[in-house]
Amino acid sequence: MPTTSTDLIAQLERLGGEFAAAIAPLADEQSIRAAQAQYLGKKGQVSDVMKELGRLPPAERPLVGQAANKVKDTIALAVEERLGALAAGRRAADLARAVDLTLPGRPVGGGHLHLLTQVRLELVEIFAEIGFAVAEGPQVETDWHTFEALAIPKDHPARDMQDTFYVADEIVLRTHTSPVQLRTRQTHTPPRRIVAPGVVYRRDDDATHSPMFTQIEGLVVDEGVRVSDLKGVLLHFVNRFYARLTGGAGLDVRLRPSYFPFVEPGVEIDMSCGFCRGAGCRLCKGSGWIEIGGAGMVDPDVFAQVGIDSERYTGFAFGMGIERMAMLRHGVNDIKYYYEGDLRFLDQF
Amino acid sequence: MKAVWSWLLELCDLSNVPTVEEGARALTAGGLEVESLVDLGAGFGGVVVAEVVGKRPHPESNKLTLVDVITARGGAATQVVCGAPNVPEPGRKVLWAPPGATLPGGMTLAVKAVKGVESPGMLCSETELEIGDDPSGIIVLDADDGTPLGARAQQALGVADWVLDVNAPANRGDCLGHLGLARELCALLGGRLVPPAPEPDLEALAADLDAAALADVTIGDPEGCPRYVARVIDGLTVRRSPRRFAQRLRAVGVRPISNLVDVTNYVLFELGQPLHAFDWHHVRGARGSRDATRGGVNAGGLYPGRGDGNVPCVIDVRRARAGERMTTLDGQERTLVPDDLLICDGERPVALAGVMGGSDSEVSATTSRVLLESASFQPRSIRRTARRLGLPSEASQRFERGVDPELAPLAAARAAVLLARLGGGRIARGQVDVYPRSPIRPIVPLRLSRIRSLIGADLHPGECEAALLRLGCEVVPDGEGHWKVTPPSARADLGREVDLIEDILRVHGYGNVPATLPALRVGPAQLVDDVADRARRALAGAGLAEAITFGFQSRDRAAALGLATDGSDRRAHPVALRNPMSAEQAVMRTSLLPNLLAAVARNASYGIADVALFEVGAVFLRAAGQALDGEPTALCDEPLHAAAVLAGARPRWLGAPQPWDVFDVKGVLEALTRALGAGELRTVAASDIPYLHPGVAARVHDADGRVIGELGEVHPAVRERLGVEGPVFMFDVALGALPAAAPARMRSIPRFPASARDVSLLLDDPIPAARVRDVISAASQDLVETVRLAEEYRDAARLGAGKKSMLWSISYRAADRTLTDAEVDAAHEAIVARLVAETPAERR
Ligand SMILES: [Zn+2]
Repeated sequence: MPTTSTDLIAQLERLGGEFAAAIAPLADEQSIRAAQAQYLGKKGQVSDVMKELGRLPPAERPLVGQAANKVKDTIALAVEERLGALAAGRRAADLARAVDLTLPGRPVGGGHLHLLTQVRLELVEIFAEIGFAVAEGPQVETDWHTFEALAIPKDHPARDMQDTFYVADEIVLRTHTSPVQLRTRQTHTPPRRIVAPGVVYRRDDDATHSPMFTQIEGLVVDEGVRVSDLKGVLLHFVNRFYARLTGGAGLDVRLRPSYFPFVEPGVEIDMSCGFCRGAGCRLCKGSGWIEIGGAGMVDPDVFAQVGIDSERYTGFAFGMGIERMAMLRHGVNDIKYYYEGDLRFLDQF
Repeated sequence: MKAVWSWLLELCDLSNVPTVEEGARALTAGGLEVESLVDLGAGFGGVVVAEVVGKRPHPESNKLTLVDVITARGGAATQVVCGAPNVPEPGRKVLWAPPGATLPGGMTLAVKAVKGVESPGMLCSETELEIGDDPSGIIVLDADDGTPLGARAQQALGVADWVLDVNAPANRGDCLGHLGLARELCALLGGRLVPPAPEPDLEALAADLDAAALADVTIGDPEGCPRYVARVIDGLTVRRSPRRFAQRLRAVGVRPISNLVDVTNYVLFELGQPLHAFDWHHVRGARGSRDATRGGVNAGGLYPGRGDGNVPCVIDVRRARAGERMTTLDGQERTLVPDDLLICDGERPVALAGVMGGSDSEVSATTSRVLLESASFQPRSIRRTARRLGLPSEASQRFERGVDPELAPLAAARAAVLLARLGGGRIARGQVDVYPRSPIRPIVPLRLSRIRSLIGADLHPGECEAALLRLGCEVVPDGEGHWKVTPPSARADLGREVDLIEDILRVHGYGNVPATLPALRVGPAQLVDDVADRARRALAGAGLAEAITFGFQSRDRAAALGLATDGSDRRAHPVALRNPMSAEQAVMRTSLLPNLLAAVARNASYGIADVALFEVGAVFLRAAGQALDGEPTALCDEPLHAAAVLAGARPRWLGAPQPWDVFDVKGVLEALTRALGAGELRTVAASDIPYLHPGVAARVHDADGRVIGELGEVHPAVRERLGVEGPVFMFDVALGALPAAAPARMRSIPRFPASARDVSLLLDDPIPAARVRDVISAASQDLVETVRLAEEYRDAARLGAGKKSMLWSISYRAADRTLTDAEVDAAHEAIVARLVAETPAERR
């Protein structure tokens, strides 16, 4: 059967016209590509038509060639359009999704540090800003480190002030972190600037006293350390620690003479009440001042115990209860909550 | 110490008399914290002093009296109905609560008919005003009472006054009396101390007797009793103390008893010197002396008096003999120890020195002659005896803190005068004063330069000197900027330069000290490793909440773990407290686990079943070489541990709960060791850890093979003992034992791709994953980058019973080139061959 260029061109145009209809029902790229191969592949229908090309006179071949190219373009375009339409359909379907974002978030983490740890870390940081390093010591301590070396002999009335848990005659649960100072003074020569946060024990149990609680004690020993320096350091501390409470209003520190056997002069530390700004409230019992700890200049007798020359060196020490600070700042109303592992409490901070 | 404001002011000559609030503020700022300030007369109001000008019986009742009273001289009389039996004759003063007056309890008076007669208000008794308990009826003021008519009743009663509750520091025994507090007020406010001056009255009230002939005092133990002053007051009548005198005692918290007892208490509170009044007739003379054998007029009595007014009684201050006994005035028989200091008469103990008198010699309603003791005793001795016998008293509290021996004569004289006045007696001439070693008063050198450098303020030398003088010191200049200071004898706490500087600073005012920061000269940096806090942060980051629990716990809780008590495990032998506050706090913890498990149980009781808690803290183990029981002789080891418990389910989101399992807690432990840079830990299954489920338990080893902790599921019996219902997964590791992390070094970021190969193995079930990992790492070649277990399952039907399948994924990479497939295959096949041979395993 003779073949004419007209026939071949007509066949090609028919194929081109057919293709779009052939892929219209196809909804995935793979079958579209398969259909495309069926038309354009080496064994595809377009190739079949082009095999007839050799029978044509050479002069007619370019015409058929042009028609073949046109069909290929038509098919490629149809594929592209169809794929584009499918992609657009998928995107539209995806965008039609709507999620209820009032559902709760999927929990991540959920762990946290204990309030007392948070406060302690903050305190350590505040004192680090002015050069304090951290020191630690044992909780089960010798009577000597806890009392004797701090000028509190066995019959001293001050032993009433801190009723002690005994483990043996000469072994106690430390009632304050002052033994740590002593231990560092034994091993480190001045200048010394440390804070010792740690757990201490006293026989006391009510809403504001716990038989175990946490103290932070500070110590500075150097040449020329003065009472005024103690005041300055405490002022730095209260204004950093309670800053967010007072909205930036400055807090004042008041030192009131008091007695602790290992310091002379000894003082109680009051800070101006940031809750009522001095007007008087429940927390400051109407006085405008809140007691936050004790302090004083290291007693020369205590220096002598660890071989430091008190004519050359002076120093101060201060001690404060971390539970109480957290109670004041965070409104904790019973000290026992800190130690019970009660998630209803712990998870609030 | 409770102090009465008017009493303080009596002892001061202040340039400007302060209000009570000013006084309280000054004391507080000076270190004598005024804890409360109570208005004594606040309980009632509108009650006035009125004079009775007439009285007649009530027409309807013979128990009622109609009383006419006036409140102003020449004023109109008002008729009041009174039910008391003791309505006085006209001319005496009573207290009238007219309509509108208020009484304690809040009652407001009005005009009220009593049996048909209108009564505008009432006449008041002590009970009604809550100022006493005199049962005899209405208050009738003393005939010579000078309170003007119409004045507030508070004035007549001595309650127009305030009570200050002062918290005196432990070293300020001198402030346990009004005199000491007055000295402070004078120093702080600027004024002169005015101590009582009984000398003129002693003369005026002298008896025709000689104290030295009536009392024979020896001090057998001068260390225990540095000074003993005695006086004798004769011809006394025991009766109630005058109302305002008694009122002061009530105000300081002491119940008035009788004039003799009240005077000793009064002087104790006034001067801070405890006194004891003996009935002279019941203090015996020397054994064998005339009176001691005769028995006298009371011969039939248990404790016959001497009956002879002129033989001296004997006072001997000595230590008790072992087993000696005496009956104290509370009626208790006390067995004494040689440490107790005694006051003895010629035959027997008559008082526990400074603690409590004896019942045989106490003053009674018939006492007419008093031997008054004003002594000072060694603080430590008094403290021990009071402690041992559980007898703290106003007296012992003062002796424990030290009483100035120089105070004894003044107190004796003051009390003698008051006794003579209130008891209508006379004072024997002279005093017996035994003072074997009067102490040498210290002379303390003081430097202006030191004052300034310690305080950080440039105090003026004149100010320093003035402060010391106001405190009662003697001050002698000793060259430019130097002084020699003799503190007052009452101030035993002022023995060193620094003590004087403190007092100068108290008077100067801490408020006047500037705030400075110390010059920064820092020594060696951080003294502690912060591993505990790094661990806390890591565990919080892993989703656990931090708990802090007590360092002590009950014995039951400590024993709940069921640890071996054969001596192989120090944790089974906690150190006990000698004096715990409760059984819940009996022993120091040796593990963090019991408290954490108790917290799980506690939370469950609140309906919180899903718990993920950790604690990082010390545990307390008996030191190596210490006995496993009894009190330790050395400090404990206090290793730092981290422990975690997971109970219930993971934090839940919409779907069904996903219970925790042991691999969750292992994952937390891995996160912890990663954060601490502690390197690879190994877990080795161990069925012999008593508190863990035998099949879900492992020991944790560090890279060197040392055991540093335990991991697994808590044994059901253990958790049940601690009240926990569901499974709990835990680990407990010793943080101090973890290898110290070196600073991490960067490894080059790989530039060439990795290739992964999987191998699926069929193994006998008991072979642990660690075994496979060990073989791989033993066979390891440079090219192996990571080894990961991707899948593990058992399927008896497909794999056979007792078998399991594991799919391991190994990743290969070279730092310097892209590996060819052939290289990777060769490396992988070499590993697989060793796995098959050594694990052993079959390749699937
Ligand atoms: Zn306030």
